[in-house]
Amino acid sequence: MRWIRFAVLVVFAAVLQAAGLPDAIALTRLNVRPDLLLILLVFFAVYYDGNEAVICSFTIGFAADLTGPAMGPGIISFGLFGTALAYLNRVIAIGRIPQQAAAIFVTSFLVGLTVALLGFLTGQPAAANMYAVLLGTSIYTAGLGPFLFPPLAWWMHVQQAH
Amino acid sequence: MAGKHTSRWIGRGGRTRFGPPSARMLFTWFMLVGFIFLLAPQSFTNRFQFAFARIFRWPLSIGRGIPLLVRARGRPANGAGESRRRYQNYIANLEEQLRRQQKRVEQLSGLRNRFGALEGAGLVPADVIKHTLSGPTNEMLINRGGADGVVQGMFVLADNGIIGTICSVGARTGRVKLFTDAAFAMPVRVGGSDVDMLMQGAGNGRAKIKLVPVSRRIAAGDAVFAKEKPGFLDAPMIIGKIERCRPDDDSASVWDITVRPVCDMEGVGSVAVIVMNP
Repeated sequence: MRWIRFAVLVVFAAVLQAAGLPDAIALTRLNVRPDLLLILLVFFAVYYDGNEAVICSFTIGFAADLTGPAMGPGIISFGLFGTALAYLNRVIAIGRIPQQAAAIFVTSFLVGLTVALLGFLTGQPAAANMYAVLLGTSIYTAGLGPFLFPPLAWWMHVQQAH
Repeated sequence: MAGKHTSRWIGRGGRTRFGPPSARMLFTWFMLVGFIFLLAPQSFTNRFQFAFARIFRWPLSIGRGIPLLVRARGRPANGAGESRRRYQNYIANLEEQLRRQQKRVEQLSGLRNRFGALEGAGLVPADVIKHTLSGPTNEMLINRGGADGVVQGMFVLADNGIIGTICSVGARTGRVKLFTDAAFAMPVRVGGSDVDMLMQGAGNGRAKIKLVPVSRRIAAGDAVFAKEKPGFLDAPMIIGKIERCRPDDDSASVWDITVRPVCDMEGVGSVAVIVMNP
């Protein structure tokens, strides 16, 4: 595991997310945009295992919290579902694009739902059309994510074939 | 024999050595850290977010402009529009203050009143580091904090209109909760009315005024003024304009009023924090 490259990648994605660059490619009136950090989460959960997957998941969750309204929901939900995905990858190989897209979609939806629930418990407001935005974000991220896996694999010097 | 959560073996010289923790142990520790962050006071967790915003202020400021460029393609430059909007808001503030002064004169209150919402106030200029304008959370991060005299509750101005209040401060960074945030509520007055109404943020750059009976004359385009607040705002100032006014779907006897900001929130690059009686 190349930790320095990992750190640079996470910081880069967090800055892009915080700067609102995904807003430039947002769709519909609901302003649905892809979640770059979630794509990273699924990538590291699929291509790494054990301690590395756990550390990566929670670190990406911390980065997500730094760019969000409150700290805590991202760490917990990213860490929980990233670790679960890493364990699931031992049983069901997530190597092909359709499988990767499905994994990103399910993870995105579950993470978004958990973040919203934990945020609600701590007094963060919930959007009236929360489920529509969540569904749209999950679909958009799932559509974009698998195409970012090859450059991520190149950067992290990971062999993509499963 | 290996331990349950850590690998342990007998090394050279008979000494017990501990290996790296298991994935399960790591997961437990990290979840604990996550819950600590979740339950910790926001004044503590804000330091991490403010530090991130401060360290990456330059790329965040650059990145903030790119979505604006994408959306502004094909549209003419709005430099003249910004000035015009600023002057319109300034005129609206003056007209409202004049109306209130005339009313006070009529009432013969006998009290000395200061004319001008900003008379006696100091303005702390600030640059916007980052803003969140979509979804229920509508906030801005600015590069002024406690060290610059900014405290929680102060009103924030852009284009001569109120956009929100300071909700938390660090030493050199502050978080502005915009009035369109779903967790924001404040008393306002519409146009020439003397009746206080409660405006609540609705997210996605809009706010709502509810429980206003249809007997009140309100129309799209009417100005909405933030009510004065002793110690923070001496006189009403424009905060928004009514975008839509129609009978409520749930109760036809009250209005469902949608308020939009008087300035282009996405294009705001600098704001001013109102410090009353500095």
